Amino acid sequence: MMGRDDRATSPAVLSTRRTVRLLLMTSTDEELVARSRLGDVDSFNQLIVRWERPIYALAYRVLGHEEDARDVCQDTFLRAYRALPGFKGQAKFSSWLYRIALNLCRDWIRKQRRAPVSQMPEDVDPSEIGVDTGPVESIEDLVARRELSAIVEDAMQSLSEEQRTAIILKEYHGMTFQEIADMQGCPLSTVKTRLYQGLSQLRRHLERQGQGVPKLVRRR
Amino acid sequence: MSEIFECGDSGALVAYLYDECEPEVRSTIAAHLARCVSCSSEVEAFGWTRQQLGTWTPPVAELGFQMPAPALEYRLPWWRAPLPAWAQAAAAVLIFGAGLSIGVARGTSAAEGVASGQPAVTTVADTPSQGDLSQMERRLRAEMAQLRTAAPVTAAVSTSDEAIMQRVQALVEQSEERQRREFTIRSVELARDFEAQRRVDLASVRQTVGQIQGTTGAEVRQQREAIDQISNYLIRVSQQGR
Repeated sequence: MMGRDDRATSPAVLSTRRTVRLLLMTSTDEELVARSRLGDVDSFNQLIVRWERPIYALAYRVLGHEEDARDVCQDTFLRAYRALPGFKGQAKFSSWLYRIALNLCRDWIRKQRRAPVSQMPEDVDPSEIGVDTGPVESIEDLVARRELSAIVEDAMQSLSEEQRTAIILKEYHGMTFQEIADMQGCPLSTVKTRLYQGLSQLRRHLERQGQGVPKLVRRR
Repeated sequence: MSEIFECGDSGALVAYLYDECEPEVRSTIAAHLARCVSCSSEVEAFGWTRQQLGTWTPPVAELGFQMPAPALEYRLPWWRAPLPAWAQAAAAVLIFGAGLSIGVARGTSAAEGVASGQPAVTTVADTPSQGDLSQMERRLRAEMAQLRTAAPVTAAVSTSDEAIMQRVQALVEQSEERQRREFTIRSVELARDFEAQRRVDLASVRQTVGQIQGTTGAEVRQQREAIDQISNYLIRVSQQGR
């Protein structure tokens, strides 16, 4: 007689699981949302797998704290899951998710009264030596890249929250002007102005940061 | 040309930079940039700034958050399902009320029985009160005093002795019964107190274990940070060496 564990690892069951996983992976966001709304938690978990990195990156760039960004990321999906019955699909799921995350970031900044962007560790993270970089990048290049990253993060800190969010959504999440306008609840022209002013300020800040920046760029 | 783009139009330049404008406008701006040093240098600087922005990467984080699957609900049949608090309270009130009314009815019938000369039926539950016992004690003492004053020891005396012995025995039995009952009540109370204390201790132990685990996690983090710092130092030293 087949035990419970035997049944769980039987070829037929494994094959079914593989098929289900494949189905989930190849489904569109809309399909996964529809199934999640019917109570399929696996579908929602697939949405989490698909979107947790971008949401975490957004939260980190807005908040500047790794732990806080992780918490916001988790809260975003919890809220989305609870609010799923109310999501009628007027907007893209990702836009809806980004909006929730940005609202949470805003609340977080208000509550914690922390500086929006924190200091990035200036030193090299050794764990990244083997993870992010290929064998081509030397330690010098890595250090230079990390220094530049810290300078950019510092420059981003000098922007207003609206400018920073507009630039983050545009540069790192590839949103259109209209999507950013919807997200920020402002006219399209305001988004362009925020981007223009933000980029101008960033440029000035990066130039003021000393001779290091252009040199590093030339080296790269 | 100037109808769709004017020199220094920041919105149009940003749209050109991000390639979010109509092809016609784009070609117009491109033609303008070829002639205007101010606008072209600005667009170039923006392009350089965007390149720098590309270097900003968030730290690698362990995410992997998942929604838990809903637990399967085991539904008890309706007759075995626990009652809600309000129903339990109502049932308690009903039982108390019924008990009270029965007690009142029995008390009345017993009083009527005594009044009519019939002996009241005593049950195990009917325990003598302190007043009854002291009254009985007084009666016994009075009877014993009468016996002492009686001069000759007669057959009647032996009869009264037997009666006294029986009554004393009955009193002793009642006293023992009462002690047994009190002992049982104390045992139950003791067991309940012990259980409550056990739960409190268990919760306290769990909390302490949680704190220890938290402390261990913090220590691991500190060690990791220390290792990071050492690695950074080594990298810097190796750089200086080169």
